[in-house]
Amino acid sequence: MINAALSTFGAQVVLATSSDENHPPENITDGKTETFWMSTGMFPQELIIRFPDNMKVSLISVHSFNVKRLRIEKNAQEEADKFEVVAEKEFEQTENGLQINDITLDGSTATHLRFLILSGYDHFVSVHKVGVQA
Amino acid sequence: MVKLRARCIIVGDAAVGKSALSQMFRSDGGHFQKNYSMTAGVELLLKSVNIPETSDSVGQYIFDSAGRETFVGACEKMWGQPSVVCVVFDITSLASFNSCSRWLERVRAHCNGLQVPGVLVGNKSDLSSRREVEAAVAQEWAQSQGLQYHETSAKDMENCDAPLLSLAQAFYSLYQDRRQMIQGLG
Ligand SMILES: Nc1nc2c(ncn2[C@@H]2O[C@H](COP(=O)(O)OP(=O)(O)OP(=O)(O)O)[C@@H](O)[C@H]2O)c(=O)[nH]1
Ligand SMILES: [Mg+2]
Repeated sequence: MINAALSTFGAQVVLATSSDENHPPENITDGKTETFWMSTGMFPQELIIRFPDNMKVSLISVHSFNVKRLRIEKNAQEEADKFEVVAEKEFEQTENGLQINDITLDGSTATHLRFLILSGYDHFVSVHKVGVQA
Repeated sequence: MVKLRARCIIVGDAAVGKSALSQMFRSDGGHFQKNYSMTAGVELLLKSVNIPETSDSVGQYIFDSAGRETFVGACEKMWGQPSVVCVVFDITSLASFNSCSRWLERVRAHCNGLQVPGVLVGNKSDLSSRREVEAAVAQEWAQSQGLQYHETSAKDMENCDAPLLSLAQAFYSLYQDRRQMIQGLG
């Protein structure tokens, strides 16, 4: 399921701090790495993905470009507030391809995942795909 | 339609007119203050700049920083990671022009090696009878630093939109550039 589009499970991006209508946040959950969401300037940047039900999350994979520091938070409630930090990672910079990073979690349930991009290797960063393994 | 966001840092010696210019940048026009009131830190202003012939815009978060040396350390802490930089001098003060490279260095030290579009602004063009810095000299230095040069008069509201517009356009083309590059990766 890590390779499947999150949107087929009813997951959707409910908040994004940037939007270019050519690169909407839905591009993150469509399962394709060719389409992407792009930040439009300044840090931090925030994205929140909501799952239709509680979902067990043991691994998150992120395809991105020029993201430097990423913090992931989750909650297991109806509302998208009161998050707890579950991981923070500094990605390595890539030049000719996407950054591909797997982040292991403890497998507990979540209704929302919040991605905070704290810094980047450039003014603008992109996120192409987020995959989740139960 | 895309709305970009940029952190715009304004620096330069004390009393060159950074705050006067920032007031002119304001959407409501602002008004020129004849009496000098020193900035003792950073004043934040927001100005949205439309990119001509598009429906796109750049929201500029303008950090009008103090020129007085005593406050510079505190200002630097608030700059964060700059997106664009605006270095201002007073055309009637050669000393203020000579300080520009130091100001630019200071801002660049916060840029983590990123390419940061910038402008050089020669303010107080209404006082050209007392001019100490020739436009050609300023232009040449600006070019050597990869900056666009503009002369303004905050007093006469002359050319005051030009610096922000040119920063917005440079940031916008950087965005389009990166967007195309990333498009080729996926
Ligand atoms: N003649 C003329 N005077 C100007 C112009 N712009 C600013 N001034 C005057 O120059 C003085 C200093 O202007 P400020 O805008 O406060 O200068 P500043 O660069 O913000 O100074 P600091 O905050 O101390 O760094 C004030 O008395 C302004 O009225 C201009 O275009 N022409
Ligand atoms: Mg001032």
